[in-house]
Amino acid sequence: MTSHDAPIAAGPQGDSLERDQNTLRSSFFLTNEFGLILLIVLFTVGFGAAASGFLSPFNLFTLGRTAAVNIMIGLSMMVVIVTGGLNLAVGAIGVSAAMFCGYLIEGLGLPWPIALLGGLALGAALGFVNGWTVVRTGLHSFIITLATMSIFFGVMIFLTRAESYRALPPVFASFGKMKILAYFSPLLIVTLIAALALSWLYRRTVLGREMLAAGARPEAAELSGIRVGRVFILCHMLSGVLAGIAALMLVARNGAAIPAMAGQLGQDWLLPAFLGPVLGGTLLQGGKASVLGTCLGAFLVTMLTSGLLLLQLGEFWIQSFLGLLLLLAVLVDKARRTYLARRNLA
Amino acid sequence: MHFASPRDAIAHHVGVVHQERNLIPRFSVAENIHLEQLGAHVLRPVDYAELNRQARRWLETLNLDVDPATPVSQLSVAKMQLVEIAKALSLQSKVLLLDEPTASLTSSETDTLFGILRQLRDSGASLVFVSHKLEEVQEICDRVTVLRDGANACESRPMEGLGRPELVRLMIGRSEGGGTWRKRDTSGNPPVLELRQVATALGHRDIDLTVRRGEIVGLYGLVGAGRTELAKSIMGQFPVTAGTVLIEAKPVRIGSVAEAIHQHRLGYVSEDRKGEGLILPHSVLGNAGVPIWRRLAGLFGSLSDGAVRRAVLPFIQKLEVKTPSLSQTVGNLSGGNQQKISVAKWLAAGVKLLIVDEPSVGIDIKTKAYLHDLLRELADAGTAILVITSDMPEMVALADRIMVMDAYRVRGEVANTGVYADVSQRIMNLIHRAEERREAEPA
Repeated sequence: MTSHDAPIAAGPQGDSLERDQNTLRSSFFLTNEFGLILLIVLFTVGFGAAASGFLSPFNLFTLGRTAAVNIMIGLSMMVVIVTGGLNLAVGAIGVSAAMFCGYLIEGLGLPWPIALLGGLALGAALGFVNGWTVVRTGLHSFIITLATMSIFFGVMIFLTRAESYRALPPVFASFGKMKILAYFSPLLIVTLIAALALSWLYRRTVLGREMLAAGARPEAAELSGIRVGRVFILCHMLSGVLAGIAALMLVARNGAAIPAMAGQLGQDWLLPAFLGPVLGGTLLQGGKASVLGTCLGAFLVTMLTSGLLLLQLGEFWIQSFLGLLLLLAVLVDKARRTYLARRNLA
Repeated sequence: MHFASPRDAIAHHVGVVHQERNLIPRFSVAENIHLEQLGAHVLRPVDYAELNRQARRWLETLNLDVDPATPVSQLSVAKMQLVEIAKALSLQSKVLLLDEPTASLTSSETDTLFGILRQLRDSGASLVFVSHKLEEVQEICDRVTVLRDGANACESRPMEGLGRPELVRLMIGRSEGGGTWRKRDTSGNPPVLELRQVATALGHRDIDLTVRRGEIVGLYGLVGAGRTELAKSIMGQFPVTAGTVLIEAKPVRIGSVAEAIHQHRLGYVSEDRKGEGLILPHSVLGNAGVPIWRRLAGLFGSLSDGAVRRAVLPFIQKLEVKTPSLSQTVGNLSGGNQQKISVAKWLAAGVKLLIVDEPSVGIDIKTKAYLHDLLRELADAGTAILVITSDMPEMVALADRIMVMDAYRVRGEVANTGVYADVSQRIMNLIHRAEERREAEPA
């Protein structure tokens, strides 16, 4: 630590700020994000050579479309991981929001833009239920969201009688099928906008900073004047909205709102939800979020799945493989943190 | 000799009394004392009669009058400390390490403890007494090793002939400097904070307390007297259940810490710097600016690093925080620099009242003297300051008036004359009287 004991430069204030950015730039090559980009390039080349049709316009289009949804699912988990908690109910909330949107259109005959907003509002409301319960009870979000996952999903199945909404306006299906420049799905643009908005939130707004501070050390944040409970509830609401967007993107892809689109209890979402943030370097203890990392992580996972499927590896093997990847990512992250801690303290 | 685990060390008759409580609150005194032995035979049932009998023997050695079957959670902090010592003794330790064992003891309890330690020494045990209280080290120790910046400044020097100035020189690498206490008259200043007959949800009763503009009021008491808890109640973290709180003569209800900080401009430097004071994994800038983020926010709650930097940098520089840059992780800085950031944070926020809880915990003497000067300077500039400390010399060096607390009540007030022996005597008298009264009337 003695090597750090130089008084801070008292000169022009711009100097040390620039120096900060320079060190950031040079250490980019050591970050998770750079590692992920490297892996994505490697696998693109590998799959491109080994799996015929991987680089075909159609495969890249569906890959992008799936990635858009997976990234959104990852982001909806990330915003809660920031608090040091998690949200197991992302799938249940997402599907509930999408089904509600379908009901507003088919059941009440509302115009689709209002129905979309209604679905997202339900996502926020269910997120609020999670956040409020976690804050009020002081219990870990694991147990609360495990319970609400079952409650939300059960009530949704009861109310919809497990029936799908298939008579949605054609705008949904056509948005899902639309191609930009033959390769890209417009769903990617939705995801890009969400990711940019989140980056802005965490870097450039008071609320985002408060979320990170409260997540890193709730006691210290509280005593510094942050309303930690309120901030945590907002994180859960944000998670609900993002889960709702992800589900509505699936509705666009399927052309229908289907109760089973995220599997039983929405569990099919859990693996991608954790893989994105964890691969991307979001700390499970909270207090640090990497939006870019989550996007890259979720993209990598989608690409691996697609490539392995093309190589005709069975679906179950791929599930096992993804599970293994999650475990590996957590271990690598732990090792990296230990290494960094040692180096900093040495 | 190299110990593979704490268990291994115990097997070699090394006992430790840790600075932090290491007792299991729900377990009885006897169970806690024999915690290490309880698991020796996995399947054999525990013989509680024998356990209690053995425990009673160790408690008697320490003149501690408690039933071994009492759950530890029902004991006072001082008695817990003694149980902890009994636990270490029961391990038949040949080497006993005591880490700040007197933090929660009154001076009479400390005297008893020292008597026992001398007996142990005379019966052949080796004792390592870790402390930052120079008076105690001088009283009890035969030889002293001074650590500075993680290295030995002197090794096993005989205590005889080693005076306080020399000890301090070894600790800080130069002689003790810094300003000292001076008489300050602030009785004419308007009060910033007034508590009238305040009770709190944590158990405080009939608290009367006034802190005026430019005044430094000390809050003295032993560990467990409810000082930190009172500070947090003032800050709105715990509800005030009765009485009146006045800020600048206006009655207020502070519903949350955020209100206390943003609306009433109060600030609190926590004694638990690493847990509650700072966000260690975040940067210097990220820590020092937190209380003013809302004030600096622009359109849609946007916030630029530049604005925070402009607001915070002058104070980081003024306090001579040693950090390579503002983006340095706070957890990597030394304790003294961390504490400077905890204070700079509130200077940047421009607080009217600053509550400083144990200002010199875990920092070197040099920074301590610096912080004392800083607090005096702040008070001279008009900030009202409430200082909580268990370090009597620090209290006498800083405070204008000292409020003495015991068992969640204010037991009296002592005007500081700057004469250590006199002031400390009057404070301890107040505490003893309060304790006697407490023991006379059943809870």
